[in-house]
Amino acid sequence: MSSPIVTHNLSKSFRHTEAVHALSLAVPEGSIYALIGPNGAGKTTTIKLLMNILRASSGSAEILGRDSRRLSPREFARIGYVSENQEMPEWMTVDYFLRYLKPFYPTWDDALAADLVRQFELPGDRKLRHLSRGMRMKASLASSLAYRPELVVLDEPFTGLDALVRDEFTRTLLDRAEGTTILISSHDLAEIENFASHVGYIEEGRLRFTEEMSVLADRFRQVEVTFDAPPPVPANWPADWMKPDTAAAVVRFIDSRFDRERTGAEVRRLFPTARTVDFHAMSLREIFVALAMAGRHAKAA
Amino acid sequence: MIPFRLVFQPGIALSEQLLYAATKAIVSGQLRPGDPFPSVRSLSKELKINPNTAHKVVMQLTAQGLVEVLPGIGTVVASSLPKPTAAARAGLLGSELEGLVVEAKKLGMQLDDVLSAVSRHWDRIGGAEPASSAKRGTQNS
Repeated sequence: MSSPIVTHNLSKSFRHTEAVHALSLAVPEGSIYALIGPNGAGKTTTIKLLMNILRASSGSAEILGRDSRRLSPREFARIGYVSENQEMPEWMTVDYFLRYLKPFYPTWDDALAADLVRQFELPGDRKLRHLSRGMRMKASLASSLAYRPELVVLDEPFTGLDALVRDEFTRTLLDRAEGTTILISSHDLAEIENFASHVGYIEEGRLRFTEEMSVLADRFRQVEVTFDAPPPVPANWPADWMKPDTAAAVVRFIDSRFDRERTGAEVRRLFPTARTVDFHAMSLREIFVALAMAGRHAKAA
Repeated sequence: MIPFRLVFQPGIALSEQLLYAATKAIVSGQLRPGDPFPSVRSLSKELKINPNTAHKVVMQLTAQGLVEVLPGIGTVVASSLPKPTAAARAGLLGSELEGLVVEAKKLGMQLDDVLSAVSRHWDRIGGAEPASSAKRGTQNS
């Protein structure tokens, strides 16, 4: 399968700060790839490098098969880009804005644009500068989907949007996204959890892992072991198990390489006096928090 | 609108949850033969899930003979449904049963206590079948 986005050791430094370090990832065709990570991890910088808004210090990226530094209007006509801090021609009305964009996109579809405006209940005669944040993002998405792009890149699209607007935004994206590859950076993990097919986790400018959502969901489990008396603390704690919490007669930890049989056997070996052992599936948000906390601890240590 | 209720739980594959909810709706008669079944696109949009997940589930439902694709019309609940066996019906309650057993064991209950508690609830809620036949069913399977 080809990849509309591929990066090779992509790096970016600002003066003495390295914002992105040797980032190599591939976004498979047709996937919905979620880029997640703590604030300041380098998500937005990465996306700006991909869109040729910033120039890489070293390494490279290919977008739709072309070096990101050589992206031309021809490629941009196949890419939809929506960012929370996008500059827009504020003095244009919504209708004017859409009419203005149309000549740049050979595949622009008037009927689809009208549909999106209707679906989003966008006020066509209102100037962009007078739109609420939610309306702005919807106008931006409508203008980016109206030419049926092959690739849609969304940088923190949900920030500052209320639940209803987030919901509308997601539904429209999914409704119009058939066959489209989507790269989305977001903090709203609950919103993206169910529709992302792939996840990349960035921390301190480094890509810690990139994998299919289902694989990620399968390999993380919160393990809860209960005892009849205060639990023993084993000398050798497995590397894939995150730091345990202990309270009264319970030990709780997260296994990042969960396998029902292997984890079960390991727990029985380390805790022969365990009364019960439970495995709890985790939401993307819980996994994120666990990873971010582990990263912070590692840094402090 | 999706003609059955589905609130996703974390940790269980979405496709599994959707397959389960759709199967339950069809087997229980909430969706009847010939009723339209949502398209991949509307499943994706309404449930906010990846279209590939929705596609996979519709394929599985088709393979199981629960829905059929009518050219020019769309996907509908199959006109002749495979008759669900007792085991298939019990299978639909698998996760609820597992949850019940786990919680009961944690509380240190015995199987008999659990069965009689189930029995009491069965009677309280009422319905066509008396509790005794439900008990027999449990022992047979």
